[in-house]
Amino acid sequence: MSEATDDAPDVVVVGGGIAGASAAAHLAASGLSVALLEKQAEYTDIVRGEWIAPWGLQEAQRLGVDECFGFGGGWEIREWTQWDETVAPGDAETVDMTRFVPGVGGPMAFPHHTVCELMAEQAADAGATVVMGAQRAAVTGGEQPTVTYRLDGVEHELRPRLVIGATGRSCTVGRQVGVSMTNSVHHWGGGLRVAGLDDWPMDVQAMGTEGERMFMVFPQGDGMARLYINFPTENRPRYQGDGGVDRFIADFELSSLPDGGASVYSAATPIGPLKLWPSVAMFPEQSIVTDGVVLVGDEAGNADTVLGTGLSCSLRDTRMVCDVLTGGDDWSPAAFEPYLIERKFRMERLHFGADIVAKLYCEFGPEAMARRRRARELMEENFAASVTGLLNMVAPENVPDFGFSEFFAERLFRERV
Amino acid sequence: MKKDSLLTDTATVNGIEIAYVDRGTGDPVVLLHGFPDSHYLWRHQIDPLVEAGFRVIAPDLRGFGESGKPQEVEAYDMRVVVNDVVALTQHLGISRAHVVGHDWGAAIAWMYAFLMPRRVDHLAVFSVGHPGVFSTPSIEQRKASWYMLFYQFPGVSEQLLRRNGWRLFKEIMGNEGDYQRYPRELARPGALTSALNWYRANRSPEAELRVESNFPPVLAPTLGVWSDGDKALLEEGMTGSAKFVRGSWRYEKVTGASHWIPLDQPEVTTELLLGFLGTETSAAAPARRRRMYGRSA
Repeated sequence: MSEATDDAPDVVVVGGGIAGASAAAHLAASGLSVALLEKQAEYTDIVRGEWIAPWGLQEAQRLGVDECFGFGGGWEIREWTQWDETVAPGDAETVDMTRFVPGVGGPMAFPHHTVCELMAEQAADAGATVVMGAQRAAVTGGEQPTVTYRLDGVEHELRPRLVIGATGRSCTVGRQVGVSMTNSVHHWGGGLRVAGLDDWPMDVQAMGTEGERMFMVFPQGDGMARLYINFPTENRPRYQGDGGVDRFIADFELSSLPDGGASVYSAATPIGPLKLWPSVAMFPEQSIVTDGVVLVGDEAGNADTVLGTGLSCSLRDTRMVCDVLTGGDDWSPAAFEPYLIERKFRMERLHFGADIVAKLYCEFGPEAMARRRRARELMEENFAASVTGLLNMVAPENVPDFGFSEFFAERLFRERV
Repeated sequence: MKKDSLLTDTATVNGIEIAYVDRGTGDPVVLLHGFPDSHYLWRHQIDPLVEAGFRVIAPDLRGFGESGKPQEVEAYDMRVVVNDVVALTQHLGISRAHVVGHDWGAAIAWMYAFLMPRRVDHLAVFSVGHPGVFSTPSIEQRKASWYMLFYQFPGVSEQLLRRNGWRLFKEIMGNEGDYQRYPRELARPGALTSALNWYRANRSPEAELRVESNFPPVLAPTLGVWSDGDKALLEEGMTGSAKFVRGSWRYEKVTGASHWIPLDQPEVTTELLLGFLGTETSAAAPARRRRMYGRSA
């Protein structure tokens, strides 16, 4: 490792999002030579995940990148109120989210791009080479992997010991080394960052379902928030084209929210673009660890975004992989076995939970409404029925086993019991 | 050059390394920032003052920015900090300067002015009034200064302020000043403790209650500036300062600015300074004052 040179660093990280940038920062701080390649010339709001669970923040602490969240505009959210068209606004249940993980507090909402920028900066300060605007990154795996990319029209080649693929859902590195994905799309989602929510309580995140939208408000402090709407795939045109942003904001006029949602729809001013995406779950068909290449974050497969655990998952991946890279000199695929085993277990749980959340809150119409009403009654009767929501607070291995049984899912939906 | 920095020099004075801006030629103006700022607070004023023919000295006061950060509370006693400014100006060959301060920098400027009247030409103080006003605070002033008392709990408050992504600090600061920059600055080694020590050393509850009345008068022509958007300090703190000033007294109220007047109303701040510094005659010329105090030169 000590023989690393500029062209042959210990590790090349392809993708400077939360997973890649946190890996680069941690590995550089641990004394490895690292190159981080990011496609964007500078970080801008391209509407990525902006909510991180307490268990994800705990991983960030372990990696030493947690301050990037606070410095980059992160805002601890303390309460989670689940609104619904079947419940009067005043009767909606509120959960205190600050006490699930010791030493962390509640989840955090934050502007994604500024946090990535700070992590990349931290990596650079720790000695990593950070390449912004790296185009056409191409990875060849094997015992002596190579990475080529173009910067300002000039071709570069790196020969690291190991490549970390962290290109998100585009799966660029994975495809290059022969990892394919199967997908399933349950619905679509859209996100927009807004300011001006001076009357929205900044302690409170909203989630809820009404009409054909599953809405979310994640406060970022100072009157700012990230708004999301999940909607049936066929409603896409509603938020596209001229007036799409206005219709998106107007759709926060919701009778299930206090004041009919006026503190959102009549106050919100966009401070970023509106982006729409298929709320997709991705399952890798081959191993995410091959000779010389390890995939992390969404690139390694991800649960439906509606669950909100994507970033936490990314940081867990990074931490597991960094543990191997900083723990010894064996970087062979066999050394990453603990990562593969843990990730398989974790993703099974997250997919299971995401399916429940999607079915419960992101299906629309009279039948779905009746389902939500029944599930809510069950949750009021027995708090344990809310177990799926724990995935947003504590790490999947700490969620009670019964939450992942078919028996529980059937009981929750009361469709066969 | 480092981000968010206009610094030009550093010097070891009064036993501490002080980083500072020293630009321009002409009558010297010393700009003193407050909590939790640095020289960078004055970024909109430095160029216009230099262009108007002043020599601008803007230090990072101890505990802030690039200057030394001793961790003991006593190191932040105001008298010690005043001596930093004395030593720095002496180091730069400046015997008499216009002194401008904001927040804690204003408190330092007041003290500098009444302890060392011969070293002060004109005095301009933003937001924070004369300490004599604070020694007998009204109920309202006590309420408005609640956060000062909060910072008293040594050891605990650093942790409370910074935990969960600086949530409590962000709540206290709101969207004022350079609020997006402060947590990062304060997270530098020792910086948060240093910054809080300013309060611990000078605003203990006992000090708040202790009545002091024997302040020497301020002889310099003095401009007091307060903003109607200040959430922590009351107008009476500034207007009530007049009685401690024997030089000419001018009061200006700035509208549409939070506590951070030089950032929120940069042009107004610059114009107030340019329209004031060097325009008045001191209550006592240096030569006469020497006789007045009967001290040997």
